[in-house]
Amino acid sequence: MFKYWKLFQTYWSAGLVYRANLLMWRFRQLLLTLMALTIWQVLFANQSQLFGYAQSQMISYVFLTSIIQSVVLATSLHGLAYEVYSGYLSLQLLKPQKIFVSLASVELADKAKNLLFSLIEGLISLIIIKPAITLPSVDILFIFLISVILAALINFYICILFGTIGFWSPEVWAPKFLFFMIVDFTAGRLFPLDILPTVVRQTLTFTPFPALIFIPTQIFLNKYHGQELLLNLAIQGVWVILLWFVSTRIWHRGIKGYEATGS
Amino acid sequence: MINRCKTYYYIWSKTAGFELQQAFLHRGTALLFMVGKIFRLFMMLLLLWLIQTKVTSFGGYNPQEIIVFYLTYNLVDLLAQIIYRGVYEFGPKVRDGTFDFYLAKPISPLFQSLATKNDPIDTLLFIPNLLLSIIIISQLHLHITVWSSLLFLALILNSFLIATAIHTIVLAVGILTTEVDNTIWLYRDINKLAQFPVTIYLEPMKLALFFIVPVGLMITIPAQILLNRQPTYPLLLVTAFTAVFLLLSGKIWQWSLRQYSSASS
Repeated sequence: MFKYWKLFQTYWSAGLVYRANLLMWRFRQLLLTLMALTIWQVLFANQSQLFGYAQSQMISYVFLTSIIQSVVLATSLHGLAYEVYSGYLSLQLLKPQKIFVSLASVELADKAKNLLFSLIEGLISLIIIKPAITLPSVDILFIFLISVILAALINFYICILFGTIGFWSPEVWAPKFLFFMIVDFTAGRLFPLDILPTVVRQTLTFTPFPALIFIPTQIFLNKYHGQELLLNLAIQGVWVILLWFVSTRIWHRGIKGYEATGS
Repeated sequence: MINRCKTYYYIWSKTAGFELQQAFLHRGTALLFMVGKIFRLFMMLLLLWLIQTKVTSFGGYNPQEIIVFYLTYNLVDLLAQIIYRGVYEFGPKVRDGTFDFYLAKPISPLFQSLATKNDPIDTLLFIPNLLLSIIIISQLHLHITVWSSLLFLALILNSFLIATAIHTIVLAVGILTTEVDNTIWLYRDINKLAQFPVTIYLEPMKLALFFIVPVGLMITIPAQILLNRQPTYPLLLVTAFTAVFLLLSGKIWQWSLRQYSSASS
């Protein structure tokens, strides 16, 4: 485990080397959070309830999504497909480490950095906007943390899947772009999914996207109780297992045909 | 002067043609990008439609008017994307010394850096986008006149000039720091704030959105004019600011060129 801890430390430090880049990236995230907060505050100006949410619940939702996405959606694996088709993967394969564990260590370092900054940004937004926020009980908070970890695992395996495209094609950016667009609107990043028409909402339940952000936020806001809560956690668990199975199978198939063409 | 313009148009149309050919070469990739962009537009319109079924007022505007603000943002953003895509690839050109070749050619290096790379997907989507916007606006119950439409078109041209100035400043930053990615994406994110009227934001953010990164002048003011609403700032101030901003961006570009040391070549 020591070597993976070192890997974590190295990537944590590497992530802080280009400070101006990091600050600009985080400033952009802060701007988008402020935009979402302002829009919902304006929408709630003349009503106390909207789409089944009270103002404090919706503002809590916006805050939560900004923090959850830094844990769940932010990833260091964007370049994985490039590493594969350019041949850089050979370097990783030669090292005495398990490739998935080392990728997970790098991913954890990236998420830890993003989480730290998003908490600071959340604090700044709180000071500027001074919103009323709904906080859950300790046991719900614990279940929420489990849900966030499951969501992060789902995204991790989706990223591995995109990385495997590199074994067969260098054209990775377009499917990723489409994925980002879909996630933006179907994971609950911009708005809670229960405001969508029923037919769209029901269609989305057959995809892993709501499990990325919507389910954890609903748990935090105490919208799920009893069996519904268990069912949603189970849905996340099933997606983790399914994506782990598919991504590792495709990865191993890719590795079998891997020729390190670019190296 | 006319001959010069013809030369520049010839270069632009040639490079745009090459980009389009490249897009057809990677048809699958182009299709996925197109689907992604259409999906984004439809989901945003769906969200705005959902809002207008539940809300009667949004920061002093009715929800149907908010759709016009979004469509104006979409139009201005698309126009800048079509013409000024080259900015996104400028950083590596400074770092690896390719920019030296731009300086050696008898064509403005600013033009080469800004406009000799187009986004073919956005080009292909422009006309359908425009038609869709016109159809949507014609279905809304809004007070739009011929005069307000003409003034809107003139202000869109003004927005394009502001976009030119902003992209020029981003290039200048690229020459000075060899980095454009963060600056251009910061601009894109700030531009996103103008999907809704920027008058909803708190001061001093609102003022900054009008006069520091003037996306308010680019998007909010034209939409207000189209809707026959009183613009937040007089049009004379808007055009005067644009002229000064454009001039300033040219000066910054010239100054940055003098700092260029061609370190990589």
